[in-house]
Amino acid sequence: MCVSGISSDTGVSMVNALRWWWGILLAFSLLAAARLVAPLPFVIEVIIFSIYTMGCNFLLGRVGFISFGQPAYLAAGAYGTAFYLFYFGTDPYVGILVGVLSGLAVSAIVGPLFVRLRSDYFALVNLALAGIIYYLMQKVLAGITKGDNGLWFLTRIASNPVLDLGKPGQFFIFAMLVAVAVWALYKYLDDSIFGACCLATKLNEDKLEFIGYSNYRVRLLAFVVANTTTALAGAMYAVYLGFVSPEITSPHRAPDPVVVTILGGTGTLYGPIVGAVAYTGMKDAISKVIGNWELFIGFLLVFIMLAGEKGIWGSLAPRLEKLFSWRKAGTAGGDGGEARR
Amino acid sequence: MMDAQLLVSGVIFGLSIGSIFFLMTIGLSLCFGLMRIISLDQLLYYSIGAYLTYAVSVAAGSVWLGMLAGVAVAGLASLAVERLVFRRIYERELTFSMITSFGILIGGVGVIKFFCGVVPRPVAIPTLAQVGIAGTDVPVYRLIVIGIAGLVYAGIWLFLNRTIIGKAIRAGIENVEHVEGLGINVSRLFTITFVIAGTLSGLAGGLHAPLIMVEPQMGLEVLAFAFMVVIIGGLGSIKGTLVSAFIVGQVVSLGSLIYAPLAQMAPFAIMLLILLIKPTGLYGSALLKR
Repeated sequence: MCVSGISSDTGVSMVNALRWWWGILLAFSLLAAARLVAPLPFVIEVIIFSIYTMGCNFLLGRVGFISFGQPAYLAAGAYGTAFYLFYFGTDPYVGILVGVLSGLAVSAIVGPLFVRLRSDYFALVNLALAGIIYYLMQKVLAGITKGDNGLWFLTRIASNPVLDLGKPGQFFIFAMLVAVAVWALYKYLDDSIFGACCLATKLNEDKLEFIGYSNYRVRLLAFVVANTTTALAGAMYAVYLGFVSPEITSPHRAPDPVVVTILGGTGTLYGPIVGAVAYTGMKDAISKVIGNWELFIGFLLVFIMLAGEKGIWGSLAPRLEKLFSWRKAGTAGGDGGEARR
Repeated sequence: MMDAQLLVSGVIFGLSIGSIFFLMTIGLSLCFGLMRIISLDQLLYYSIGAYLTYAVSVAAGSVWLGMLAGVAVAGLASLAVERLVFRRIYERELTFSMITSFGILIGGVGVIKFFCGVVPRPVAIPTLAQVGIAGTDVPVYRLIVIGIAGLVYAGIWLFLNRTIIGKAIRAGIENVEHVEGLGINVSRLFTITFVIAGTLSGLAGGLHAPLIMVEPQMGLEVLAFAFMVVIIGGLGSIKGTLVSAFIVGQVVSLGSLIYAPLAQMAPFAIMLLILLIKPTGLYGSALLKR
């Protein structure tokens, strides 16, 4: 699929650029429109959650790594931000940067060790890592992290004349911008040679090795990119909520990103958004009725898996594509067709 | 330095914890070895065993009876899950069974919460007697736990090496297609293995219940340790599971005598070290590629 700028004809490249951005912009304008009808915390939760899920989605759908340990990297980002805002500075932007860098550091440290493993060991080791970070934050480092009480720094977040992250309304705009940037990045990765290599390492590692790429390097890079994205979501959670507690990395939260990934449609570009909307919506609705969320989420997961593991977007996209190409007769088949296969 | 009394009780404590880890993770290992699935729902049967032990010991007054009930119900639950869910997914890849079984685990925890509430409950220790070993008083119950784990290991060994079903299971671990070609009903073999695994997990829960508080999240709490045990020992190896369960038990127990907070972290460090040297664990087979 063609990326803008390749063609010499400016008109064609304009169309290509439009086609490239069109799905992302449409998805996020829908989310922005949801702001008008849905309460603000819900929309912000959806945005951060979909960024959180994006890393897991990339690992599972593209590289074939199932990671139940995403909370570990979420916590790395959240605690990086929290330590900065609680002990050192007040600027939330710097805080988020610190969070992302600490997520990058953690995944770069454990990555070389983890990506060598078989996929089954990989999943177990990641979940063990999440459990260990939970203990670390709750018990071992309780002097710094204040244990289960968590770090509260909402009042320390400095205001900013341009985009004040302390105010939910302006945080929403910021989250939106970040999310569009993340989606653009992942769309770019999907279209790039690196994205193709990731898919190849999932489907046939021997062939990829034969062509001359290193499976290890492709996996390591994908691992670091995905988990840094997860850390970004953690940093945003920290700034948005104004507090961080060990609860964020507890093993009970481990299935969340996997559930959302599969609910939305594994490996599709818009799956995480669709999944996050569906998941957060159901969570709000169901915890009001029965107040026992795990009961539902567990069996939902089993049901989706047995029903064919395609997820909402995964089964919707081909139909949308069909509908769309029928209407426009294949001129700019952007919407569903742009989704990753 | 440590005095001898502390050391003896520490070692006994570690052995009993290791026994429980062994019983808890042998199911994971057996299921992986034969069916090539990762059955995280073993931790649910562990919780079921513990809860039944609590409920029956309160109702009937006997903890031993409770454990028996726990083991039985855990076995039945695993039979139901195998019939309803796992039967359909044996053919699928490994990650598939992992996600599905995690869903069962989380859903099961929800069911337990629904019926029993979230309050942690204490279970009475069946025997408060102490016995002197090397001048130290050691609770008899912990010795019983160690003894039961030893019996189970011996029983599994005899079952796998001396009975025809056990031999078929061992052959299946080597090559399922060949066993099927011999005319052995592999599907029934899978069911038997899965129920044995679930029963042993239930036994682990029942034995662990008097030593800790029974609560809905208990399966998730030991999850990190269960994983570390199977990874250190190598998935699919019973001997490896036994060895690594006792290693982890001793590290947790003796480590907490030296510096308590680090005791929880030490097994993780050991796991990383072993993975660095041998990515398939101590006794793991390199049979299965990604």
